[in-house]
Amino acid sequence: MAKNISRRNVFTGALTGLAASAVPQTASAQAAKMVQRVGLPDVWGQDFLYQWSPPENVKRDLTPGNALLRLSHPQMVSAEGTDYDKLFKSMRAGGWTACEAGSAQWLANKVSDSQASEIKTALKANDVIFYGIHCAGNIIAPDPDADRWQRHIIDAVNSGEQMGCELILTHTGSMYPNRNTPHPLNWSKEAWTRSVNALKRICKDTAGGKVKIAIEPVNSEAINNPWAQKRLREDVGDPRISSGLDITNMVDTSNVFRMTELLNTTFELLGDQIAYIHAKDIVWNGMQAGLNWVLQATGCMDYEVFLTHISRLKKDHVNILVEFLNAEEEYQQAQRNIRSIAGKVGVKIHGTQPAA
Amino acid sequence: MKRHILMVVGMAYFGLPILAAAPNFSGSWVKDNSKSDPVPNPLMLRETPQARGGGGGGRGGQGGRGGGPMPMVVSQESNSLQVTEPQGGMRKYMLDGKPHSTAMETGVQKAAVTASWQGDMLVVSSTEPYGGMPGNVTAHIKEVWSLSPDGNTLTIATTRTIPAVEKTYKEVYTKK
Repeated sequence: MAKNISRRNVFTGALTGLAASAVPQTASAQAAKMVQRVGLPDVWGQDFLYQWSPPENVKRDLTPGNALLRLSHPQMVSAEGTDYDKLFKSMRAGGWTACEAGSAQWLANKVSDSQASEIKTALKANDVIFYGIHCAGNIIAPDPDADRWQRHIIDAVNSGEQMGCELILTHTGSMYPNRNTPHPLNWSKEAWTRSVNALKRICKDTAGGKVKIAIEPVNSEAINNPWAQKRLREDVGDPRISSGLDITNMVDTSNVFRMTELLNTTFELLGDQIAYIHAKDIVWNGMQAGLNWVLQATGCMDYEVFLTHISRLKKDHVNILVEFLNAEEEYQQAQRNIRSIAGKVGVKIHGTQPAA
Repeated sequence: MKRHILMVVGMAYFGLPILAAAPNFSGSWVKDNSKSDPVPNPLMLRETPQARGGGGGGRGGQGGRGGGPMPMVVSQESNSLQVTEPQGGMRKYMLDGKPHSTAMETGVQKAAVTASWQGDMLVVSSTEPYGGMPGNVTAHIKEVWSLSPDGNTLTIATTRTIPAVEKTYKEVYTKK
């Protein structure tokens, strides 16, 4: 990296850079331009202090694409004695047509080849896709934890290959042992270099595989904006490095009311690097800078633009994880909201949700 | 022409008596919390309690009606009804049964508000993007205003509907 990248400047630079040029550029070149353009984009005039409010005429392209959306929230498990046909039937009955596993549970029980075959047959019979293994690891943790987590990710990739999963999801992590705790040096050159080297090692040890290594942006980590996601793939130098896109994880007080632009920027910049999506929503409703999760499609997220962008990805289908809720009732409410908006803008969601 | 004449005659016989019977909600009203349901924060279906400060009304300028000693002031004229909240917020309904576009709190989105008489009740219906941000689900809010026979108690029953969930609550006010 040529220079350190702050979250706000990266985002605003992204907006400005995209507006300024339609010519494809590498992330490095874009980053260089971005650093020259430190400051928020010119929404209310360059002489105005704040650029946190949205422009009056935000571009909202609601043209639906052809990609089919598959909603996911239930957990896939590898527990002995699981009736997979029953499990997948229950997912379909709830309107969910895709699923993922948590790596800790999934890897705790080694899946035999015959069991893998049984699971794949049940998935196909019920038209459910097991697309990924979700790894909440910290690959840049202080040594020796980093090595342990990297090996965990490698194991998850290998298991994903066995199961025919499209991806594993992980994060770059924190310089603290607990990745959920932001370290002041998470945005340093050292943290970036550790992230790149960790992923190079994971790619090397899983070379030849098909499973994508999707990196989820997280505000508290170095990968917390679309530009960093693009740059990370370039620096690692492996096309399997993808984006496990969670838009709300890139939201701070400077862009929470500019979600439509954040969506436009992210999808235009990352495009088919996006391997799959997290669907959440967020509000800023207090004096402090803290943001809160809310039920999907009831917060600041522009769900109409969000869903149409997803549908325009050049994929047959896109798996979308609905998350950060508590009870199944809430997940059904979230699904109801998402399906309602999808229907409004002409985006197709696979499966049928049970009546309320 | 014949149909129009019949409509005019019908209004003369049936419409005008109903209009004449329309109640007058004018006055200063103090909320009776003991008889009212808790008003759910329309923005938050899931949030930490600490973040629940502020008005949080989803409708344009409507805010929470609040309670306490400060009254809500209603001024009703032949074709409009204006409400001044205890906190000072103000909203105005046109009593013509037609949708009127009203700016929401964010100023980014607008709500379509319709107020009409149904017998001796005033029904205020609003269709708006939930929370006032673009791309939200659409929320439908229906308020039914009614007066007690002695005119001293105002009840507003509100139903908020989004695809995910429907919530109903009532607020009871006493004339000051």
